[in-house]
Amino acid sequence: MSDIVLELKNVNKVFGHGDTRVQALNNVSFSVKKGEFLLIVGSSGSGKSTLLNMIGLLDRPSSGQVMIDGKNTTKLSDGKISEFRNSKLGFIFQFSNLMADLTILENVLLPRNIQRSDKNAYKEASDLLKAVGLESQINKRANEVSGGQAQRAAIARGLVNHPTIVLADEPTGNLDSVTAETIVQLMKSMAKKLNQTFIIVTHDRNQFGKVDRVITTKDGRAFEGEDAPPKMELTV
Amino acid sequence: MDYRVQLAKRMLSNKKGSLIGAVLAVSIGILVIHVNFVIFQGLYDAIVRDLSSYRFGDVLVTDEESFITKSDTYLVGWFEKIPYVEAATPRMQSSASITVTKNGKLVEEFRVSVIGVDPMRDPRVSTAYQTVSDGQFVFSRNSIVIGSRVIDDLGGAMVGDSVKIKITDRRGEDQVRRFLITGITTSPGGQGLDSQVIMHIDALRDMLDRGGETGEILVKLNDPKKASDVKNYFLRTFPNDDFKAETIEESAEAALSGFRSGIAMINMIGYFGLMSSAFAVVTIQMMLVSSKTREVGVMRAIGAKRKDILIIFIVQGMMIGAIGAGIGTAMGLGYTFYAKETKMTFAGSIPLEVSYDWAKITQTAIMAFSLAVMASIYPSYKATKLQPVEAMRYV
Repeated sequence: MSDIVLELKNVNKVFGHGDTRVQALNNVSFSVKKGEFLLIVGSSGSGKSTLLNMIGLLDRPSSGQVMIDGKNTTKLSDGKISEFRNSKLGFIFQFSNLMADLTILENVLLPRNIQRSDKNAYKEASDLLKAVGLESQINKRANEVSGGQAQRAAIARGLVNHPTIVLADEPTGNLDSVTAETIVQLMKSMAKKLNQTFIIVTHDRNQFGKVDRVITTKDGRAFEGEDAPPKMELTV
Repeated sequence: MDYRVQLAKRMLSNKKGSLIGAVLAVSIGILVIHVNFVIFQGLYDAIVRDLSSYRFGDVLVTDEESFITKSDTYLVGWFEKIPYVEAATPRMQSSASITVTKNGKLVEEFRVSVIGVDPMRDPRVSTAYQTVSDGQFVFSRNSIVIGSRVIDDLGGAMVGDSVKIKITDRRGEDQVRRFLITGITTSPGGQGLDSQVIMHIDALRDMLDRGGETGEILVKLNDPKKASDVKNYFLRTFPNDDFKAETIEESAEAALSGFRSGIAMINMIGYFGLMSSAFAVVTIQMMLVSSKTREVGVMRAIGAKRKDILIIFIVQGMMIGAIGAGIGTAMGLGYTFYAKETKMTFAGSIPLEVSYDWAKITQTAIMAFSLAVMASIYPSYKATKLQPVEAMRYV
């Protein structure tokens, strides 16, 4: 069985028409193996968030294929894509984006509830919250905890469905440096412990220290490494 | 509990202002319908009650051509054998000239409508005797009860005064007789016999020279809903007697048809009010959806389908509808109870006939609930159109 969990093949994304046409992604191709801790870095407007939206199936490419667990997702219906996102992907957003109307535990349980998967859900969610150090906060409302605690809960929510890939969009962007460091270490430890693939978009490469792999985006293109030569297009 | 119901409940309870606004819109819509019903249906029913009680009974039997020639004792006895019939009584009507004199001086003379009643049977069918505010009801052939409006026209005649009644009999000859005023009637709302003169039916028969004849038979039922059955049974039993039998709705049709149209119009205004409430629910739900853009985006991102989002907001509409319908119905019932207990009157005169129409109460509640749910469909649909990518951008 292949170790490749994600494969992008010649992915293009174009916004607008005519004079307002913008090529946000230009022929991007790369693959990711199971368990990799991968950073996508790049300056503002380089296409890293668009790329994450393609990988997260939050947006569809103008052309090309996004394969997750060997399945081509580009032709899936809206309902199937929702199911796919729920079962294969975990999301960690910049502002944690917990549901303020729910408790920390209910937030973590939400992907499982959407999946109608009750089996061990409560126990697994509790265990995850314990693993991220929030066992004493589980019954608090999401808006009653600190930013760092909310982001820990978001990590637990991203992991609760045993996703193939966890996608994080600037997960430390809204945190102070000390809390950000804690969150980075937590994600790394969870990745190692669970052999979990993490793809993280960040503008602050240094915060993450040593990682398995870095992809740099520039002008809609993706390059292997942190300072990819301008003409060396990624072909992994 | 399903997570969508739980989320709908939490989202709504955390937006108390919107919840209260939407619930009040639905509740007030229902309350308006209940108030309209209590006042206008109560007034209509009061008029029917009074017309039935004073003038027509539940079933009114007349002769298609002229007077009933069959014995009134026989007909009353026939009716009273029917289990649905509580009592029956004969009446006679005519017009007369009335003259009042005081201390030998003529005070007034004018034409007036005269009703002949059987003093023994009439109180079992009609409550006209209860409207006697001064003196007592007709008790002998020379006693007469005069309506308060006639009394006013007579310049303030009193119990104990005497009046002269002049009636033209069947042969065209004037018959004049003096009567003693034994009572004055005053009915609330004026639906009673305030503009009439009531005398003993036999006295009227004598003056009309129609001994043994009867103008009409008033029949009171112990279950007014059986009026059509009794009427049809009567007509089937006496097919060759030129009888005309009518239920209260038929005999009072002229008096009630306009009023019924008015009530229909007022009910329609009430239902338009309820529809306005639905628009308020649409607006509030749109605000709720707008305030939950980020949450909807997050939910879509983590795998919720469009139908899950639709269900969340439709459930919110159902909650608004259910709470609004519950509170509105409770407020409406409270008002109805108050109106009934305080014997509420219309314009300070006619006592309303307040009733709990459970079919209408249920229908109004269901309609309000349904409108609230329908009003949630468009905002819910709008919510499903939010793209999950918004979650990444929306702060």
